[in-house]
Amino acid sequence: MVRLNVIELEKSEYTGGKSSLCPGCGHDQISNNIIQAAWENGIQPEKIAKMSGIGCSSKTPAYFLGKSHGFNTVHGRMPSVTTGANMVNKDLSFLAVSGDGDTASIGIGQFIHVIRRNLDMVYIVENNGVYGLTKGQYSATVEKGSKKKKGVPNQQAPIDLCAMAINLGCSFVARSFSGSKKQLTALIRAAMSHRGMAFIDVISPCVTFANNDESYKSYNYVKANDEVLHILDYIPHFSPIEEVEVPEGEFREVNLFDGSTLRLETVAADHDYTDAVSALSAIHKSEKAERHVTGLLYYNENVPTATDALGLSETPLVELSEDLLRPSEDSLERVNAGFRS
Amino acid sequence: MEKIVNDFVINVATANGTGSQSSNLIILHSMFEMGIPVSGKNLFPSNISGLPTWFIIRVSDKGYQAPGDVTNIQVLMNKDTWLKDLEGLEPGTIVIYNQDVKLPVEREDCVLLGMPMTKMARKINPKLGRLIANMYYVGAIAHLLGIDDGAIEKAVQDQFKGKEKAVELNMQAISEGISFARENWEFESHFCVESREKNPDSFLIEGNEAVALGAIYGGISMLSWYPITPSSSLAESVIEWVPELRSDGSGGSTCAVIQAEDELAAAGMVLGAGWAGGRGMTCTSGPGISLMSEFIGLFYFSEVPGVIWDVNRVGPSTGLPTRTQQGDLSMLYEASHGDTQHIVLIPGTVDECFEFGWRAFDYAERFQTMVFGFNDLDLGMNRWTTNGFQYPDGPMDRGKVIRSQEEMGAIANYGRYRDVDGDGIPFRTLPGSGLDPILYRGTGHDEDGIYSEDPQVYHDTMERLKRKIDGSRTNLPEPVIREEEDKELGVIFYGSMENTIVEIDDMLGEAGVSTSTCRVRALPMHPEVENFVRRHDRTIVLEINRDGQLFGIIRKEFPTELIPKIHSVAYSDGMPPRARVYSDMILEVLNEVS
Repeated sequence: MVRLNVIELEKSEYTGGKSSLCPGCGHDQISNNIIQAAWENGIQPEKIAKMSGIGCSSKTPAYFLGKSHGFNTVHGRMPSVTTGANMVNKDLSFLAVSGDGDTASIGIGQFIHVIRRNLDMVYIVENNGVYGLTKGQYSATVEKGSKKKKGVPNQQAPIDLCAMAINLGCSFVARSFSGSKKQLTALIRAAMSHRGMAFIDVISPCVTFANNDESYKSYNYVKANDEVLHILDYIPHFSPIEEVEVPEGEFREVNLFDGSTLRLETVAADHDYTDAVSALSAIHKSEKAERHVTGLLYYNENVPTATDALGLSETPLVELSEDLLRPSEDSLERVNAGFRS
Repeated sequence: MEKIVNDFVINVATANGTGSQSSNLIILHSMFEMGIPVSGKNLFPSNISGLPTWFIIRVSDKGYQAPGDVTNIQVLMNKDTWLKDLEGLEPGTIVIYNQDVKLPVEREDCVLLGMPMTKMARKINPKLGRLIANMYYVGAIAHLLGIDDGAIEKAVQDQFKGKEKAVELNMQAISEGISFARENWEFESHFCVESREKNPDSFLIEGNEAVALGAIYGGISMLSWYPITPSSSLAESVIEWVPELRSDGSGGSTCAVIQAEDELAAAGMVLGAGWAGGRGMTCTSGPGISLMSEFIGLFYFSEVPGVIWDVNRVGPSTGLPTRTQQGDLSMLYEASHGDTQHIVLIPGTVDECFEFGWRAFDYAERFQTMVFGFNDLDLGMNRWTTNGFQYPDGPMDRGKVIRSQEEMGAIANYGRYRDVDGDGIPFRTLPGSGLDPILYRGTGHDEDGIYSEDPQVYHDTMERLKRKIDGSRTNLPEPVIREEEDKELGVIFYGSMENTIVEIDDMLGEAGVSTSTCRVRALPMHPEVENFVRRHDRTIVLEINRDGQLFGIIRKEFPTELIPKIHSVAYSDGMPPRARVYSDMILEVLNEVS
């Protein structure tokens, strides 16, 4: 029997074109998780807008959600295009995919400012530490001492996008691994239920240029050094009891904007996702230990979104009729008269 | 000496940040109030306080608005430029100077009128003495020229709207200035003003504010901007007017305004807004256009509507940030890498600033492309006369957007980039509609929007894009042509040169050259521009830049046989165009070629 989601759509309604990435690429796993998350959450595909920049990761919107409009923009500039689209149609669910080159180097400025605005979007970075599409140069997120397949180990300090996002007041910050299907799907689903900027840094090994064991973002390395903060269960607002068993141990529940819940079964007892200092501490400790901390790092539901802050009309601006977009002829007479007096 | 009525030039030399702009505008507005044709040019530095600034007021019954060849009345307030300002004056110039600036005034061939402005100002208010000192020259000029007391008072009221104390203080200073001049100066000025019948509908406004209002009446739904002189006041005018004019009735705004992190982001936001079905706009100057060029190519190739206003300042690079030029035209026309071509609207008056402000959105959505508004500092930041803005003459043109399954069904073989009806413009659908979605991209794509590197597909796409933009020629604002019977000389010009052309024309007339004029108001050019060239023995393309940028475009686009009779006259020094400079250059070219 074909399975249907809560709005009675098959999963095939959420798939996209055939991937042209290297076989085994972590990005394809993330695409599958995106498809899974959107389907399980029962989002209407046409209400999603897929956004990306340039690079291997930014090509992936062609491979998922074929029923959604999307924009594969220019290098490092996806956030600004998303911002403009969000301003005129805040009812769209913006799902953005970027890479570590696209976000941490050429696009670092736009990354910073889109977080400051708390734009209502899901921002996924598919982070492999190298520029794949130009054949394997280091990116700015590669760890000091990490070595790609060819060349010398990286000597520069990495940019930790999660730490940066937390410092900028991002309302939802998480890190995951393309190979952690359950964790990643739960985080993407929670991100989709969040209102505001939801940033997920997903370590996604580049099988062609940096999957050797000396690369800190290779499959083997991440599997061996994944410091999982908590076991995650996403409980959708439309079926609160069916999907998960109540854990026996300690747990916390994150109440998301759409009424769904993210349940965190505690592994690292000292981590507090509502405390930026605790989250930053977890990141820096794991960095020092040359490990990767994953899970929901930080969450703050009380940040107004960009459209809230601007006091825009309740109706998305694209749906306003001409009489609301163009002031009346009388008003122009008043404007003219005001200048004349 | 014979009286010279309503025909003279005043130059006021002050330091930036001393409040002199208020004094200058009071002089300007009081004469405007009397119905006298007057224009003002603010020559200001890239600085907030201390550097020299000049304000040139041209009074002319003939309607001349350019800075004149000579200064008739010089006001000296700034010690830093004192000697140089003085040195450049013609014999006989009336010099009003602040006696408290302890510098020599050694021009016995001029009329020297001193006033202890700072001392008098300090007596009224010791703290604000520096600012109020400038009001004394207003009084001095009012006395010399015979400006009506009532007109002065109204100008002061308007300048300090609602601030009773400021009105009182400044009026006192002006009155004291008038009294001092009357009691101490035995000189009677031969320059004077006479009231003219004032059109009750007329008022003065900056081009930037006119564009802002035009955009608001054009249904702008998102403005993104990054501060840059001389375009910031355009964005700030939008911000000022949105609350009053663009509220949805329940307290929500119908226009989002975002101060972006840089010009790249500002352009990206316009693209996002246009893609999602909104009317996005940004405003900037040349340096911003350089940064936006990447996105401008994406607008062109992915066929997304958007509007960018360029208020031109002097380039290249940071250039002269507070001076005027028409130096960006060729860049705008072909901005971004690869083969591109963009629609450029070029207003020459504040009325056109308003009109093109709203029309730009219609063109952008009709042609599914980025449309430039091209303005410059002179028209954008100085005040010009209008008799009131005209309401748009028809509903908005939202272009070829499919909004329902029914409409989609009516189109056989729909593809996002398929030209189904021969005008080069495909239909589009909007995100959220679920109608035939595609992944927009800046990479090569076929008629269905699918990635393609196929040679024929690329070639066909580029040819269609050319056809599409070419098709706009007859839709865009047509040139304004004023033609003489004998077709001896045709002058093609554009933009703010409109404010100098009448005077140039009169100067050429005095030299025995009968001149027709053709003001280009949009790129790509209307076919009538070519016809204008055909009808004239010689054509000169007149512009405020070094290289003759429109001339370059004309040479590239017009038939080869026409080129030998077209000549370039281009000059730029950062100053608003002075008629004599250009008329002399035109006569020189005519001499050379005859």
